[in-house]
Amino acid sequence: MSSTITKLNAPLTQAFDFQPSSELQIIPTPTRNTLAQQLAGFDTLTNALEYAAQGITGYNFYDAKGNLRSVLSYNLLRQNARALAQRLSGFNLIRGSRVAIIADTSPEFVELFFACRYAGLVPFAMPVPVNLGSHGIYVQQLKGMLDSSEASLAFANIDYINFLEEASAKISNLKWTGTPAQLRELPAKDVALEPNSPNEVAYLQFTSGSTRMPRGVVITEHALMCNLQGIVRNGLEIKPDDRSASWLPFYHDMGLVGLVLAPMVTQISVDYLATRDFAIRPLQWLKLISRNRCTVAFSQPFGLKLCTMRVRESDLKELDLSCWRAAGIGAEMIRPDTLRNFADKFSSAGFKSNAFLPCYGLAESTLAVTFSKIGSGFHSIQIDTKTLIDKRMAVRLQTAGRKYNEFVNCGQPLPGHTVKVVDENGLQIEERMVGSVLVQGASIMTGYYNNPKETQKALKPDNWLDTGDIGFLYEGDLYITGRRTDVIIVNGRNIRAQDIEELAEQQPEVRSREASAFGVNDTAGTTTIVLVIECRLTSATERNSLIKRLQQLVYMAFGVNCIVELVSPHTLPRTSSGKLSRFAARQGYIQRTNLNDQLSVVESGDR
Amino acid sequence: MTECNYDEIMQLLCDRLSTLTSSETAITADTNLISELSIDSIKLLNLIMEIEDSFDISIPINALADVQTVHELASLISRIKSAH
Repeated sequence: MSSTITKLNAPLTQAFDFQPSSELQIIPTPTRNTLAQQLAGFDTLTNALEYAAQGITGYNFYDAKGNLRSVLSYNLLRQNARALAQRLSGFNLIRGSRVAIIADTSPEFVELFFACRYAGLVPFAMPVPVNLGSHGIYVQQLKGMLDSSEASLAFANIDYINFLEEASAKISNLKWTGTPAQLRELPAKDVALEPNSPNEVAYLQFTSGSTRMPRGVVITEHALMCNLQGIVRNGLEIKPDDRSASWLPFYHDMGLVGLVLAPMVTQISVDYLATRDFAIRPLQWLKLISRNRCTVAFSQPFGLKLCTMRVRESDLKELDLSCWRAAGIGAEMIRPDTLRNFADKFSSAGFKSNAFLPCYGLAESTLAVTFSKIGSGFHSIQIDTKTLIDKRMAVRLQTAGRKYNEFVNCGQPLPGHTVKVVDENGLQIEERMVGSVLVQGASIMTGYYNNPKETQKALKPDNWLDTGDIGFLYEGDLYITGRRTDVIIVNGRNIRAQDIEELAEQQPEVRSREASAFGVNDTAGTTTIVLVIECRLTSATERNSLIKRLQQLVYMAFGVNCIVELVSPHTLPRTSSGKLSRFAARQGYIQRTNLNDQLSVVESGDR
Repeated sequence: MTECNYDEIMQLLCDRLSTLTSSETAITADTNLISELSIDSIKLLNLIMEIEDSFDISIPINALADVQTVHELASLISRIKSAH
């Protein structure tokens, strides 16, 4: 126990000692710039920053109480990033070498990210630990990313360096691990920083918490620039008086590309709140928007839910959200009720529901694929449930009283991108037919780093990206109806079924290919993870111990509770090639538990 | 002084935890928050907010990675409180 406390010692001191002496003087970067606005159209990230640095806008970081803690203008960012790049050059790495950075919401992360680009290196963001008791599993996840990216350098600030050092042991490719402060101490190498080319890799984006098989999406400068241009010109129609506020983590594509890079390539200011601070007090995000008259702020549906659930009625009169013109919503399936409840609650605080801006995208397509029409709010369609299930066809509800499903319109692809829907054989199907959603265009990744097997699964001939999502097109607009069974979304987090099964298979009692994970929903749309294990244990004590251990492991890795069901061997359905079918496993579970009333199952899972 | 704080913290934690979870389990220092109380992410956020408000502290997110039992959480709070 005391060792735990000793380990905590270093991180904790930072939380108290950090008190910038100039606190009284700092003011946020302004909304109005002195520089003529250029809406993306740059050929590389560093060229975009060179331009933004000529103005007076930039990034502002706020603490949990909403006080401004640090300001990083684009001008200062350029200066600091270039200075750090000189130090990175001292490592004499070959161009394109990977640099891992634990991405908390801090100026240091952004500086390092750009320093890497100035030095011709490829940065990637690693997550911060968020779950109770997750220490061991978190270190394993870091190890997985360091290993699969073959990173040469790894950075974490003082709060996370202990985890990083633990993870760095025995990673052969890694030359150096340290904090940004330690990097600043190193001598600057006097070299000219080479310009980047559009074909070079800009960054990697990890999409999975898997310890054995993490997948790093490879995004080139060209793909990034294309996607950013589509987002800011067509998706958001950014204007000179725009300002963003964000709590999205920098290690997610929406946080990084959407709310760090997109503002920079349009030279607008951003106000940041750490994800943790938002999660505990969502009101602070809305206060930032209100106080700084922010116009563009994105969230996952879950973030809106947190606001609706946890902001008190008495807080509403302090807010004026009438400035918020683009309330982007993406990153998971959007339920109309989430948006309606949010609008109901916050309309008295000036929130206009025509600000809702549903969009669809994924890291494998840099960030965005489709946007609904800006300024027109969200639109949804009521689809007859029976036809949807029987014929996999979307037909508008004709008569009242029939059962229906409601789906949110995610709009049309960005210019230069095409969306198609295909059947199980990969053949394109007509509008209104439900199938797998594929995307083609300039924003698509070149693949998963060093992972040809996964790349081949995702990238189809002619560079069509299989998104893994299910949906249909209706009058040219995209509607997402669900995920394929390999991804489970709980409380706004994408969890790969495979990652959960992998955790289970690491237990001595569980053999490989004898665990199947999937999600079940209750009527309110809440998802619970179910893990079914084929188990040979007979003693009740041993069986209970396995169940408890698995639940604890899943919690520590993913921060969610799950139902563990032990079944006898050969219960789980397999395909002809011997692979487990999650879809069939889920059907079997539903039958066994008589899940016509799914709610009762979810409740029993809370035990 | 710290000892006294720890007991107060422990008391408050046990009270809050028993209302947060419907579990019949008696809550002690060794109770595991994850496997025995099923503290999910929303409950955890509420708990942290209440702790921060009651003790006027800020709990760093990295510290929670090493917390599994009620005792570990109480010690963490007490340490942050006394460092104040």
